This record gives sequence, C-alpha cells and structure tokens, in this order.
Amino acid sequence: MLSRRSVLKGAAIGIAGVAGLTACSGEDTAASAGGPKELVIGILAEPPSWHPAQTHVGHLLQPYQLAYDSLLLRQPDGTLKPMLATEWKYTDDAKTTLQLKLRTDVTFSDGEKFDASVVKANLENFKKANGKQVAMLENFASAEVGDASTITIKLAKADPAFEYYLSQAAGLMGSPKAITGTDIATTPVGSGPYTMVKAESVKGSQYVFTKREGYWNTSLQKWDKITLKLLIDVTARVNAIVTNQIDATLLDPNTRSQAEAAGLTLLQWPVDWNGLLLFDRGGKVCPALADVRVRQAINYAIDRESLVKNVAGGQATVTSQVFGPASGSSVEGLDKLYTFDQAKAKSLLAAAGYANGFDITIPMTPGDDVTSNYIKQMLGDVGIRVAITAVPAADYQGTIGKGTYAMARFNLFQGPTWVACNQLIVPKTLYNPFQSTNDVIAPLLEATRGAGDQVGEKGKAVNQYVTENAWFAPFYRANQLYFYNAKKLKVTEQVQMAVPSIYNYEPVA
Amino acid sequence: MLTFIGKRLASGVVALVVVACLTFVLLFTTSGNIARNIMGDQASEESVAAKAHELGLDRPLLARLGSWLWDAVHLQFGKSYFSEQQVVSAMVSRLPLTLSMVFVAIVLTALIATLLGVTAAVKRGVVDRVVQVMAVLGASIPGFIIGIVLVLVFAINLRWFPAVSKIGPTSKPSVWVASLTLPVIALVLNGIASATQQIRSAFIKQLELDYVRTLRSRGIPEREVLFRHVLRAAAPAGLTVLSLHFIGLLGGVVIIETLFALPGLGRLAVDATTQSDLPLVMGVVIYTVAIVVVVNLFVDIANGWLNPKVRVS
Repeated sequence: MLSRRSVLKGAAIGIAGVAGLTACSGEDTAASAGGPKELVIGILAEPPSWHPAQTHVGHLLQPYQLAYDSLLLRQPDGTLKPMLATEWKYTDDAKTTLQLKLRTDVTFSDGEKFDASVVKANLENFKKANGKQVAMLENFASAEVGDASTITIKLAKADPAFEYYLSQAAGLMGSPKAITGTDIATTPVGSGPYTMVKAESVKGSQYVFTKREGYWNTSLQKWDKITLKLLIDVTARVNAIVTNQIDATLLDPNTRSQAEAAGLTLLQWPVDWNGLLLFDRGGKVCPALADVRVRQAINYAIDRESLVKNVAGGQATVTSQVFGPASGSSVEGLDKLYTFDQAKAKSLLAAAGYANGFDITIPMTPGDDVTSNYIKQMLGDVGIRVAITAVPAADYQGTIGKGTYAMARFNLFQGPTWVACNQLIVPKTLYNPFQSTNDVIAPLLEATRGAGDQVGEKGKAVNQYVTENAWFAPFYRANQLYFYNAKKLKVTEQVQMAVPSIYNYEPVA
Repeated sequence: MLTFIGKRLASGVVALVVVACLTFVLLFTTSGNIARNIMGDQASEESVAAKAHELGLDRPLLARLGSWLWDAVHLQFGKSYFSEQQVVSAMVSRLPLTLSMVFVAIVLTALIATLLGVTAAVKRGVVDRVVQVMAVLGASIPGFIIGIVLVLVFAINLRWFPAVSKIGPTSKPSVWVASLTLPVIALVLNGIASATQQIRSAFIKQLELDYVRTLRSRGIPEREVLFRHVLRAAAPAGLTVLSLHFIGLLGGVVIIETLFALPGLGRLAVDATTQSDLPLVMGVVIYTVAIVVVVNLFVDIANGWLNPKVRVS
C-alpha cells in the first residue's frame, strides 16, 4: 500500500514541477519601457478569409486594416481623408462619375506596385467574388484607367454612400497578383502598415502582425507588433484583460464592473440601435399593422427607460429614431417623440378599431428571451397579445427577411444616411421584406439618393417620415463598452464602427 | 483476437455511416437559409441565390448526401462554407489540443480515482465516508463553475496561471503546461466522482471473495494482494466508466475550451453549429464517432487482457 509519506512527496514534487514550468511560461503585456511596442487586442470574431473581397464590416473590418490600405481613410469622427487616393470628385451633376487621383509611391508586401489598374482589378474582383459586402458595389458599373495615377469609376446610378464604401470593405486594395490566387485567403497580401507572421498565427486562436518595412505612411504605424487574440466568450475576455494578457477589448454591462475594479479605462460610444422593425405596413400578415395609429400605439406602449435600465444595464440612450446622431440625418426632438404612455397607446388602438387588441407573433433568438418577454408584457398591457416563436440565431436574419413575420426585434447598425436607407427603407432590402413604399417616401428617398454632400440634410425628411409614421419602434442606442489599459496605450473610438479602427491605438509615451 | 478487432471495426464503420446519414439529413433540412447566413443581410437575393448555387445548396438533398458519402469514402470532407478552409485541415489543427487535454485529464482521473477508490475500499470507516463525500461534491458542481473558480483564484487573484490560453504554434512546453493546467484540473475534478465510486465498489466486492483470503493466508504481501491481484480484477469496472467519461469529455470540453479560449475541437463544433457551417459540423461528427469507436475498441482489448474470462465470452 502506498504510504502517506510517499503520496505527499509525490504531490509536492508534482506541484513544484508545474509551478517551476509555469514560472517560465512567458510574460504578460505590461508596459516595458524602452522595449518594442507590442499591442494585444482581444477580438470577438476572426476573418473567415483574408481575401480583401471577403471583408466584412464592424468587428471584422479592423483585422483587415492591419494588412490592407483602403482608397479613402475614415477618421475617428467619420470624415473622409486621403489614403491610397489623394483626391476624388464627382465630375457630373448626376453624381455617377467619380474620378480619383492615386498615390504613386505605394507597393504591396509581395513587391507589386499600386496603380490605377490595380484599383480596377480589385473593384471588379470584389464584385465578382460575391463576398459578404458585395452590396457595397451594387451600383458599380465600370472603372476606366486614365493613367497610372488616375481612375474614373462609373456608377449605374447615384450612390451617396459610395465614398464611404471606398473607406470600408469595397475600398481595400490587395496585391493584383495575389487576389486572383488562393493563398491570399490564409495570408493577406496588401500595402498596409503590417504583415502577418504566419509562423505565429493560428486560425481560431490568434493572428500576429509586425511592422512592415518601407510602408509609405509611418504615422499610421504606431506599433512594432500587434497580436489579435480571438476570445469569443466575454468571460474569457474580461479575465484576459484584468490579468494583462490583452491590452484592449470589448466587454458588456455584466463584465463592466470587474474591468473597472481592475483599474481599466472605459471608452463608450453608440453604434447599434435596438428595437422593433414593424415590417408589415401593408397589413399582409397582420392587418392591424397597416394602420399607422396601431404602429404608433406600439411605440407608445414601450417603456424605453425600463429597457435601458433592465436590459442594457443603463449603458444606452433612449431613442425613437433609427438614424443615429453621427449620420447627419438625426432630427432633434425625434429621440423623445414616443414617450411611454399606455393610455395614449390604448386610445390610438381604440381609434383604429382595435379596442380589444389583436394577436401578433414575433420571432426570438436564443439568449433574447429577456427582451422578448419585456416586449410581450409591455404590449400585452395595452391589449396586444404577442406570441413568441424561437428561431435559431444562425437563421434569424434570413427568417425575418422572408416576410414570415409582421414585426421582429433586432439590433442594427446605425450607419451613414444612405447606408441606413439601403438597409431599412428602400423597397428591395432584407429589412423591408414587404417592400413598403408609397408616393411620399419614394420621392424623399430619390431626393436623398441624389443629394451628394447634402445627403445628411436631405435624409432628415426620410427620418421624419418613417419616425412619425412608425415604420419602426426603436428602444435605445446601446453603447459599446470598450476597455483598455491606459498605462500602456490610448484608444480613440471610431464613429459608426463596433470597435476602433486599428489606427486609433497609440502607445503612451 | 484479429477476428474480434475486425468485427468491432466493421460494426464501428456501420455506426459511422448511419450517424453520418442521419446527421446530414437532420442538419440540411433544419438549417434555414444557409446562403443568406453566409452572405449577410446586405446581399441581394441574386447574390444569395448565386452563393447557394455555388455551394450546391439548390441540389436535391439525396443527391447532396450521395456526393458527400462518395467524397467521405475518399476522405474528402469538403470546405467550410465561411472560411473555405478544408474540413480535414480544420480537424487536424484542432484535435491535438483537445485530445491532449482530454487524455491528460483521463490519465489523472484514473490515477486519482484509483488512489481514492482503493483507499476508501481498504480503509473504510471515516476515510471511506470522506472520500465519498468529496467525490459527490466534485460531481455535483458543474465543470464550468469549477473552471470559473479556478480562474478567479489561481489566475486573477494569485496570477499563478494565465486566465486564457497562451498556446501558439511556437510555444514552449512550459506555455502548454501553464495554459492547460487549470482546464485539466477543472475536467479532472468533475470526473473523479463516478470513477472513484466504481473502483471503490468493484474493489470492495473483490475483497470479499475467497481468493483474497487464500492469497493472504499464503503470506503474500498485502501490497501485492491489493495491486497485483485485486485491482486487476476490479479494473474492468473502472475502465468502463473511464471510457464513458472520455466520450463525455469530448463533448463536455467545449465549455472549458470557451472559458479558457482554447482553440480545440469543442469550440470548433460550437462555432460551426451556431453559424450553420455544415461541412465543419459533419466533420466534427465523423471525427468524434471515429474516436469513440476506437476508444471502445481499446477498452474492450484492455478488458480482455486484464480479465481472461472476458476474452472467452
């Protein structure tokens, strides 16, 4: 029989061995004066492919910015500045011909030179590749190469968001030699400030980039090494940042206090709106929704303050409009258009002939049960009887875009004016499955489309219409809660983007 | 022996084909609009239809199943819908981490459960009761709670171990040990209970048999009686529960991998399922069933070696 002494001896040796090995297991990212500047960011999602034509938005734009430049650079406040394009202008009144002047001193990491033919090749490839953001080039008709530094893009029709798209996925430029091959899917080949270190990068775990020698804009290269660490679970992210394993990451209201207690700095800004999309304005599935008074009643029945407190943990701003403040089409006063007023909701329903209420079914994804049950209760209090159907998260977007449901709850990005119109309001879009349009909104949309630089101002009329006619029932604009280690770096938020651009992280001197 | 192995492998292949077909049909009939999920909300209906055609999603279900089975026979499992990474490559990159974690957890569980089970069976009395209570406590606390407590105490407060995995392709062995210690402890603590109980019960039963009295009366040292004879006879029960535990770990490890950000097979399975990345889901199912078949075969062979009566039956 094993003696007590030998068991204890064995355990002590084992523990000492593990402790000894783990003592040499590597250092955390705490600031080390005078050493190389290294940044580790916790990310929620990894690029499924590094091909620039497969670039997405939001969380998934940031990784691509490490290796790829875009034609235009979007500043933290949303203004557009030169990047690979030094100037750009529409040369016709219809705003369908956009001429860009390009840099002549840029090379890709494989040695290929950047010029107008590369822009043409990338734009055409982007459209052909049918990636997630192919809709950005929906109106792209052709690109004509003038000389090496001049390209003219023709649009099938005016697109006020086109310049914005050239600062996003559609504007990322890959090496002309690499974009037609397959290797670029696993190893990005761009003209950007950093190159991937393949030996240290592992799909599903981390991607490591180092500063690219000879990059044309050293002011954007603030770090010697950047590691993107994939941490899908928010508990893992908060554990990693409070133990200094990462320097910056996105958290949520439930983990906020733990990060603050560890002395981390919070950066917060609104990106998404959360609320109901009242799709069925024609009453096809739910006849009651055809009446604007019913849709307005739904808005009045929602206690937004309560949702901000109980669902968003206080980290949100009440709103009644789907156009965000940064879009330029936000209208003062519309945020509080629909206050919580059950009596008014009931009187509107009665006036519309629904004094006894009506029945409606909404879809719900797993994890959304709290909000859905609040909606059910709040609408039930004014007589609207809500049934909830569970829909798998992966199928949710497709399902609500099919026109099966008269209304649905969702979180949606509050982008620039025309992006928001394209996403929610134009007849042929996923979130307008019943293709609602009429003689009032159609001309307002057309006027916005052709407004050029005035798109924000023109969009106010669209915003006013859809808000007063209750096409939606927004609850609040939720804040992104981005934490970082202020002893090591400073981070600036990026308007209308889920996480900051990679250019917005600078080391503390 | 070879006939035995051949028969078990053949029945394993049959099980694999049946599970694959059932899984394929269930997944592809319940997954909604996969092309829309891939293309996102901004894509036009035409783009979505083009993607569906590119992936063959507009073909009849049985035709797709036939193609998939034909490719699987040639060990081709297709590509991820989202990343276009080959399924085999994805499995191969994730399996070592999961299998090494699960294997180490099983070995430690076996060693600790044997120690505790034998001690409880031999000493009885207070020691037996304490071991049983500890085992029940370990079983009643979910693995992810154990994991969270371990992270809180040993990673966040004491900073003895990293809170999330630091393992990379060029990591030193010390990094592997540091990153896997807490996850393995979480898996072990949760799994010791049932193995300890089984070994304890089997050991007690063996101790009551006549051959043990005979061995003792012949003056054979107690250590030899217990470990060479009694443990060998009691081992099959422990092996069986450990093999079941191993299979359970392959599925249950997903929560631990998520908590510790370990890029293993469990996380891949969850990510692929939530995204409806069906080729990857099929790959995970096939690999898991294959591992289960192989593990069961090894356990049967080990049982046969330990207990000749099993070989005969």
